[in-house]
This record gives sequence, structure tokens and C-alpha cells, in this order.
Amino acid sequence: MKTGTPASGIRFSISSVLPWLLLVALIFLPSAGLGTNLIRLFFLTLVWIVTSVAWNLVGGFAGQVSFGFAVFYGVGAYTGALLMNQGVSPYAAMAGAAAMASIASLIVGAPTFRLRGPYFVIATIGVNEAVRVLMSNLAITGGASGLRLREHGPYRQVEHYYTALGAAAIAIAISAVIARSRFGLALRAIRQDEDAAADVGVNAYVCKLYVHAIAAALTGMAGAIFARYAAYINPQGVFAFNTSISILLMPVIGGIGTIWGPVLGGVVFGAIEEQLVANFPNIHLLLYGGLLMLIVLVEPDGLVGLFHRIVRRRGSDSRSKGIDKVLWGRSRLEGREL
Amino acid sequence: MMTAADFLNLLIAALMLAGIYGAMSVGMTVIYGVMKIVNLAHAGFMMMGAYFAYELFQRFNIDPLFGAFLALPVFFLFGMAIHWLLVRRLPKSDQPTLSSLLLMFGFWLVLQNVAYLTWGNTDMSILTPHTLSVINLGPITISTLRLVVFAAAVVSMAILQLILNRSWFGKSVRALIQNPYAAQITGVDDQKISRMAFGLGTAFAGFAGALLSMLYSFNPDFGRPFLVRSFVIIVLGGLESVPGVAFGALVLAVVETFSILAVPAGYQPAISFALLVVVLLLFPRGLAGLMQKKWRAA
Amino acid sequence: MSFDIPEKTICGFIGPNGAGKTTLFGVIAGAIRPSSGKVRLRGKDVTSMKPHALVKRGIARTHQIVRPFRAMSVLDNARVAVHFGRHSVKSAERARERAWEVLKLVGLEHRAEFSASAIPLGEQKRLEVARALATDPELLLLDEICGGLAASETSAMLDLLQRIREKGATILYVEHDMKAVMSICDRITVLNFGQKLAEGKPEEIRKNDAVIEAYLGKGALSGSSN
Repeated sequence: MKTGTPASGIRFSISSVLPWLLLVALIFLPSAGLGTNLIRLFFLTLVWIVTSVAWNLVGGFAGQVSFGFAVFYGVGAYTGALLMNQGVSPYAAMAGAAAMASIASLIVGAPTFRLRGPYFVIATIGVNEAVRVLMSNLAITGGASGLRLREHGPYRQVEHYYTALGAAAIAIAISAVIARSRFGLALRAIRQDEDAAADVGVNAYVCKLYVHAIAAALTGMAGAIFARYAAYINPQGVFAFNTSISILLMPVIGGIGTIWGPVLGGVVFGAIEEQLVANFPNIHLLLYGGLLMLIVLVEPDGLVGLFHRIVRRRGSDSRSKGIDKVLWGRSRLEGREL
Repeated sequence: MMTAADFLNLLIAALMLAGIYGAMSVGMTVIYGVMKIVNLAHAGFMMMGAYFAYELFQRFNIDPLFGAFLALPVFFLFGMAIHWLLVRRLPKSDQPTLSSLLLMFGFWLVLQNVAYLTWGNTDMSILTPHTLSVINLGPITISTLRLVVFAAAVVSMAILQLILNRSWFGKSVRALIQNPYAAQITGVDDQKISRMAFGLGTAFAGFAGALLSMLYSFNPDFGRPFLVRSFVIIVLGGLESVPGVAFGALVLAVVETFSILAVPAGYQPAISFALLVVVLLLFPRGLAGLMQKKWRAA
Repeated sequence: MSFDIPEKTICGFIGPNGAGKTTLFGVIAGAIRPSSGKVRLRGKDVTSMKPHALVKRGIARTHQIVRPFRAMSVLDNARVAVHFGRHSVKSAERARERAWEVLKLVGLEHRAEFSASAIPLGEQKRLEVARALATDPELLLLDEICGGLAASETSAMLDLLQRIREKGATILYVEHDMKAVMSICDRITVLNFGQKLAEGKPEEIRKNDAVIEAYLGKGALSGSSN
């Protein structure tokens, strides 16, 4: 085995410095005079990234693929909106939204995490449907006609942007911490083989509920951030099945189970989504579906997997290993898990 | 208080519903049993079946009932083609995989979009002279259409059961379901059988969709609520048999129909899910989970 | 049927097919719920405890058909077990050390960075043992750990079991391979049709008429015994 050369050592630390550079760049972005439309795009992308990273905790790390994350997004959006309408400060409302979404995740998770694999998936689809129907009928939340927010104070785009940036940074940080912790190890074991994990002492059910709660909290927070910005939400939007699709599509595109995959996926999705909906509204689903099929058949590890392949072809053992560690801590020897 | 006639009417309605639910779920069961693939595109195939019947009716004036039976061979071939094109490239596993889920889901999105491009987003329905006719047996009213659909569904399930039990194909399918490794050793060509099973599952999805088009209006998103229902039925009735599916279908249909008495109309679509949750709380692993344990031992 | 497992011994359980060995194993390992009867660990009733709880109590098992965490490295396989085993080790440092120790004991330290799916079956079986050991159990349950192994691999495995016994472990060993069981166990229990057929030291079992009959049929007794 080759030991690391000085060159690869430098490359390794470049990979770990990069995220910080990115953060700094994003912090100074609004002052770069980019125009409100672009800032709006960044804002939306950041919100998507929060949901993407969050979903990946459950679907990527733990392997529990939920097709119903819109539920937590919607719960967060509505909770945030209702609280803000009562005069609660936006940030407290977001915390409340996260808490509410976590509680919802326990209610959803308690029965569904007793299911395995595809049964769990379909159960989450069912939950999504049920909640959407419920919310369309409930009067307190405005029913099918939605809910309007009363903004207390002037509209400042910059504030929305920084809120989203902060949330995204928090989400990625949580993701990285979990990945390196023993909890993350347990989640990976659960993803591989839940029963074997139990046989070495992992309480799979509790672990799943736990990560689900964290992911739901983040997603709920994203929903509240969005609600505050949009000033109007309705069940057909935030609880939509399409929203659930979008949330899971991002990590799959970027690289399911990695730390930066969901972020990449969020960026790609955010950038394309706008263009797609604007220019090709008719083949929206076709492109999503086609992309999904392509990824599954050609490169299940998404963009990150693609990147790996390229780097591996050109680099030495230790170099690609270094990048692997940054991205997930996964040894190069691990094969596809999909 | 409900009269006996009302009760009977409801019961018959439930029975009719059970028939169609059963026909719609057997397709998914066959595919899952043989290939361990949860076919999310099932909803898409059902939707295509509905539009298939619609087109035949609009262009050639073919009664949708015949359209439904015509759908069987057409969708059988369609399913086999899809298997050959896409499904067989999936990494093989004896456990359901995320890949298969996402692949079929992606394909469902594509189907939806194709339907949208071809027929637009508005609700369509098929209205024939039969649509509103009813049979009256004293105080009991039975919609002719529903009766016909019910009969068709039951007949098709009976034929499927016959195929699975008597034919060589059926035996191979059952062998693959029970023990894929042993089946291959004894000479069952799992690729060929998988392809045919996928075709069969798709055929029944299209058939069910066409039948449903006679009863309900449809649009490209048609099928999603039925997807959830199919799953509930499978969980209730177990994975390996047509009678199991029939049982599950009956339970769901009865619960749904009689829940009209207790639950406001707006909440109706959530019934199937509520049932699912109840079943899962009582049987934590689901009835299907019990099946899983069986396989693990082998 | 009832029996005790004395500490620091290797107790073998053998019997012809269908004797109930797998069921017995499953019950003790928490995978199967018995219709009647109890399992007690040092006097405490553990019958209906779930597998992860049993591990915390000190009972760890291997699997007859190996189930490594395939996409994780051999070292990580051991690390999970240490982190969530009997002592719920929180420190990453200590867990890693412990995992290395276990890998050295089973002779897999040269495979530490390899993906668990990339090593041969014999080594995967040793990984099974390593993982169970990494939880630091009081009682180790081995499920046909020599199944499917070549002669050289089998003797390597038996050497490993010796080393484990020398460390003072208690092992419940269900096995099909008679030679393996005879050579390594302190005590053997023979099962047939869900009943205890015989119990005792290997030499006694070897000469036991009922056992011979169970395995070889009634006719074998009239011929010369081994």
C-alpha cells in the first residue's frame, strides 16, 4: 500500500478547508451586488439543502427511505406560520416548528419503523397522503385554501437569506457530527443489516426514531423558514407528494449516504428546478423520472460516485482515500450499497 | 338506525369494491413475490390501462369492458418489454432493494408525464349507456356497471389462481417465490420467468385500471390512492396467494364502505392508511413481516 | 428438556437433523419466542428479552449463514460491536483499541481495512466470532461456526475457540460437525426430536449406545462399534 505523499497530504487538507471557504463566500454573497433574483435563488437552494441533508440522515445514513418527508416540511411550515401570526418572534417560531415536526416524526415513526424496506417506504407514502387530506379539511389551518402570514416588520430579503444559510450550516454540521460518531456507525450498521446490528447490541428501533426526529426537526425548520418568506402556504403545496419527491431526489442525485452528496444534489436541484419549471413545465416529471432511472442504472452513488470514479482513475490510493474520508469516512473498498 | 335494505346495499357495494381491489392488487403481488420488487409504477400502469380503455372507446367505440380484456395481452407485452429494457438491469437481490424502488418510481413519473402530454391534466371519464343503469331487486339497488366489473375481476382472479396452480409457468413462479435459489438449481429460468411475471403483473394492473375507468374519472395522477390501497391489501392478506389478496381486499373494502357512516367525506382517502396503522400496531411486523421471517430461515 | 451451562466451559450441542438445535439456539439468542419454558442467565430470567438487550446482558451470538456488515470494513464491523456491546463503550479511542485487540485475537488484523464482503468465507466466519466477542459477552453462542469450512479452515477455527476458552469464556456451541465438537468441547449434550438424549464428556458420548443409534440407526449397534 502506498503511503501518502506530501502532495496528497496537501490535497487532503484542501478538501477539509473548502467547506469553510465556501461558507465565508456565502456570507459575503449579498454584498457582492448580485441582484435580488439571484439571492432569491440562493435562498431557495439553501432551504432545499436543509431538507436534503436532513432526509439523508434517515434515508442515506440509516437506509430508511421515506417518501413522505413533506409531512414534516408542512408541519414545520404551518406551525411556524401559526406561531408567527400570534406574534411570536420568527426564530422562536422556527424552533417551535422544529419541535412540532419532531413530535410528528415520533407519531409517524412509531408504527412505521416496525416495517422493513419497501413496506416502510409505502407506509410513508400513505402517511403523506393521509396528512395532506387531513390538513385540507382542518379549519384551524385554513383548510384547502391555505394560510396567510402576517409579517410583523418590513420585508428584508437579506435576513431571509442569512436565516437559510444558518440553517443549512447547522444541518451540514449535524450531519458531519453524526457521521463520525458512534451513532452514525450504528445507523450504517442498521442500513446494512438491521437484525445483525441488533445482535451486536444496537437498539435499531430507538436509533431510527432518534435520527428521524433530528431529520424532521431540520426539515420542519426549513418549512418554517420558507413559510415566513412565502407569506402564504397551502396543503397542496407544502404537503404535496411532489415535495416529498423533490426532497428525496436531491440526495439521490448528489450521492445518497454521503455528507456532501445531499448538498451537491440540493445545488443541482435548486439551479435546475427554477429553469425547468420556467422553461419546460410540461416535461418536468419526465426529466425527474428519467434522471432518477438514469442514476439508479448508471451511477447509484450519484454525483459523488461519479466524482469518485474520475478521481480514482487519475489519483493514487491515498489521495482518493483522503477524499473518501472527507465525504463520508467510507473506505474506497466499499461497494455500492443501493 | 339503518334498515336491513340499507345494510345489504352497503354490503353489496363493499363486495363489489373488494372485487376490483383484489384484481388491482394481484398484479403487484405477483411481481413482488417473484422479483422482490415493489412496483411503484403499478399506479402508472393502472393509469395507462384507464387511458387505454378510454382511447379504444373514443376511437373505435369499443365498450370499456372489452377494452379491459384487450388490455391483458397488450399490457402483458408492454410489461415484458419494460422488464427487458429496464428491470433486468437492476442489481439482483433476494431482498427488496432501494434501487428497484427508485427505478420503478422514476418510471412512474415518466408515465405520468407521457399521459399528461398526450391527454392533458383534466379529469376524463368514460360514459356509456350502461353507466347509470341499475338492477333493482326489491329494496336493493345494484349498479350494473359495478356488477359487471365485479364479475370481471373475480373471473380474472380465478383464472390467475388457476394459472398459478396448474400451469408449468405457475409452478415456476411459485417455486421462485418460495425459494429462488432452489428454484434455479432445479432448472427454473429465473430471467424468463421474471420477465413473464412482470408482464403478468403489468397486465393485471392495466386490466384493473381499465375496469376502474368505467367507475371513476381519471387523470395522469390516477393510481396513487390505489397504490396505497394495494399495499394495505397485501399487508393484510399476505404475499403469496391470490386468496390472501382476496381476503385483504375484502377487509379493506368493507372497512372503507362502512366508514362512510362514521367519517366525513373529506377524510375518506385517509381510511386505508388508518387501517394500515391499526393492522401494524396489532401485528408489528405486518403479516408480510411474518412472511419475511419464514424466508430468513432458509 | 433443561440443562445448565457451567461457566468457563465449552458446551457442545449436537444431534441429527431436525433434532431441534436451531430452535434451541434461536430461543436462547432471543430470536424465537418459546411457547413454554425459561432461559435464565445467572438466575435472571432473560427469556423474552430482545437480542440487543441480551447483548447488554452479556449474551452474544454468531450466525450460521454469515451476516457481516458488508459495505463496512472489517475493523468497523468490530467497532460497532464494541460501541454497543455489553459495556456500551462511548469513547472512540477505546473502542478502536478494543476492536483491534479482538481482530488480533481472531487473526484478522491484516484485513482490518478490507470491506467485509471482500474476504473469503473462512475469514468471514472468524469475523462473526470477532464481532460477537467484541461485545465482551459472558456467554458466547456459536451457531455451526464450522459449517462449510475446509479442513484447514476448521482447524484454524478450533484453534481460535481454544484461545477464546483460555481467556475464560463460556461458550454454547451448536454444531453439526461431529469431529469439531468432540475435539473441543468440555461437555456435550445430544439432542433428538427436541429431547435430551445424552449428556456428558465427549468420551462418554462417543460410547453411548443411544447416541450411536440415533445417528446411525439401529443396525449400527449389531456391527462393530468405533
